[in-house]
Amino acid sequence: MSDSLRLGLDRETAMTEIDQAYERMRAGDARAFEAWLRRVELPLRASLRSFARAVDVEAVLQEGLLRMWKLAQTLELEGPNASLRYALRVVHNLALMEARALKRLTPFDLEVLENLPEMQVDPDPTTDPGLRRLIRTCIELLPPRPRQALLLRLQDAGLSPDRDLAEMLTMKVNTFLQNIVRARKLLSQCLAKHGITVEGTRP
Amino acid sequence: MTRKPRGDRDATEVLLEAATSAFRARAADSGRVEPSPAWWDLGPVERDELFARQMASRILEQSLDALGLSTTARSVLRRLPWIDQLGES
Repeated sequence: MSDSLRLGLDRETAMTEIDQAYERMRAGDARAFEAWLRRVELPLRASLRSFARAVDVEAVLQEGLLRMWKLAQTLELEGPNASLRYALRVVHNLALMEARALKRLTPFDLEVLENLPEMQVDPDPTTDPGLRRLIRTCIELLPPRPRQALLLRLQDAGLSPDRDLAEMLTMKVNTFLQNIVRARKLLSQCLAKHGITVEGTRP
Repeated sequence: MTRKPRGDRDATEVLLEAATSAFRARAADSGRVEPSPAWWDLGPVERDELFARQMASRILEQSLDALGLSTTARSVLRRLPWIDQLGES
């Protein structure tokens, strides 16, 4: 066997970090689920772009991720990034079921979405310490009320509804949301000054 | 290109921000994750915009978080004890 072929096979059969995390998830290791989520969330989310008009992608994604945690206990998978590829099918099926239930799509739209090709995924989000510092600096530069609203939303991490968060800051919900809108706009402008643009933000 | 009046645009911005949050309620009977109430009030174009904002927000959150986790990931992780309890019953 030639070296190049051998290398190709090694790459093909090597366990990825996603596979390793999934193996530990199967034993009920919540830390491993954390590592798995870190790698798969963005590719899974990106794969749902075609469904954005038909379903609330955030709700479908969270439901799919929770199902993967439950499924992992009994679901044995093989092959590189098999759990990510399986999760892609899970979230797509959930999105289709939801779209059908909500009757948000025409039969033609449904057919298109049902026959989407399996997407190629790049499961490698990296955390850049320099970027983290820059974001923190830009957040520190925000006016007080927008900064408080944004930081509270981030710290709460999806645990509480906005009305509870607004109450903590003695704001009306609408004011709380307007402050976050303002914070995001200013944050985006600050990042843009340093040459950073994030998809979906408008400085 | 037509632009919405300022007041309409402000209202849309608030709806978009509400739906950008990772908070999602659960159905009382099934425990299923429910869509954001704000999502229902968005039109097709705004839903495309929401998708982009949710993506941008999660990328920023991952970059900012010491463990590289977004608010979506943290929200899901907080549900595990509850989900595991459901599995045992």
